[in-house]
Amino acid sequence: MKKLFKNDAFQFLSLSVGIALLIYAVEAAKGMIVVRTVYLTFFDVLDIIVAVSIFIGLFQVWVKPQTIVKLLGKGSGIKGFILVCTFPMLMGGSLFTLFPLLKTLREKGARVGALASFITAWGGKVPLLPLETKFLGWPFALLRLSLVVLFAFIMGVLMDRVGEKPDAANVNKP
Amino acid sequence: MRAGQIYLIVALGLMAISYIKEKQRTRDALKATFKILYTIMPVLIFVFVLMGLIQAYVSRETIAAILGKQTGVMGILYAELVGSIALFLPPAVFPFGGYLHDNGAAYGPIAGFVFTAILIGVTTLPLEFKLLGKRFTIARNIFTFIIAFFLALFMGVVLG
Repeated sequence: MKKLFKNDAFQFLSLSVGIALLIYAVEAAKGMIVVRTVYLTFFDVLDIIVAVSIFIGLFQVWVKPQTIVKLLGKGSGIKGFILVCTFPMLMGGSLFTLFPLLKTLREKGARVGALASFITAWGGKVPLLPLETKFLGWPFALLRLSLVVLFAFIMGVLMDRVGEKPDAANVNKP
Repeated sequence: MRAGQIYLIVALGLMAISYIKEKQRTRDALKATFKILYTIMPVLIFVFVLMGLIQAYVSRETIAAILGKQTGVMGILYAELVGSIALFLPPAVFPFGGYLHDNGAAYGPIAGFVFTAILIGVTTLPLEFKLLGKRFTIARNIFTFIIAFFLALFMGVVLG
């Protein structure tokens, strides 16, 4: 039982149902608006969500984190920089899954700028393109994606200037 | 045909190709897919409830007044703040952004929201501190917020 309450899925679902019930109890008409919005949106995105999850699942098994680290780890030249500003766009996941991978990259000697570029480029979220275009349209999505590359580039340059001084104790320095 | 159905067919096609090439890996992929669905579905439903709440209690005029075109710079800053604080998984960001747009928010603030909701997380800060260091974390989040602002401003101008 304790485990159930700590479960994220359970928490989100019970919170959702709780809010809907509360609104319904206070004002039935408003409650129906909430339920209707959830219902319509849910079935509107169901096929896209499933498709996107398949894309990300396949990417995860076919492109292993080790492969990514190998691909980007030594990339300090201009080629590596371009790669680090674009390739992470293809990855799924959330910041929670991203940071451990970046720690590995850092231990392999990646520069701070490269790490920052990596995170920013990862924000491109190409696997979610079906969702983005559905809700915000192709012009928005394509413009945002191209700006993400620029964004990643700027972040890399800026963060390299910040460097890594005091708290880099846990990193193997050359 | 709906776009979603086409994506689904492509996804299943890729799954089939993957299965022909390597069965075990495809089983792992399927497991990963279910794990992703299990993680994002409850969050999505929660965000849909939030959308429903806004639908029920917040008028179009209010949304337009906070995030509409004429709010300019302030609208983008508000949206970025919300994006930074909100505990949104990336897949929930776009439905919510699209919903706000349909209800009077301009593209600029939405872009600001999308950038920060994906890249800045108050909830992920402790982990980032721990794994990547304080200096890195603080600098990265501040720079991200500032650059996202200018890019969002630009997107607002271009997309109208």
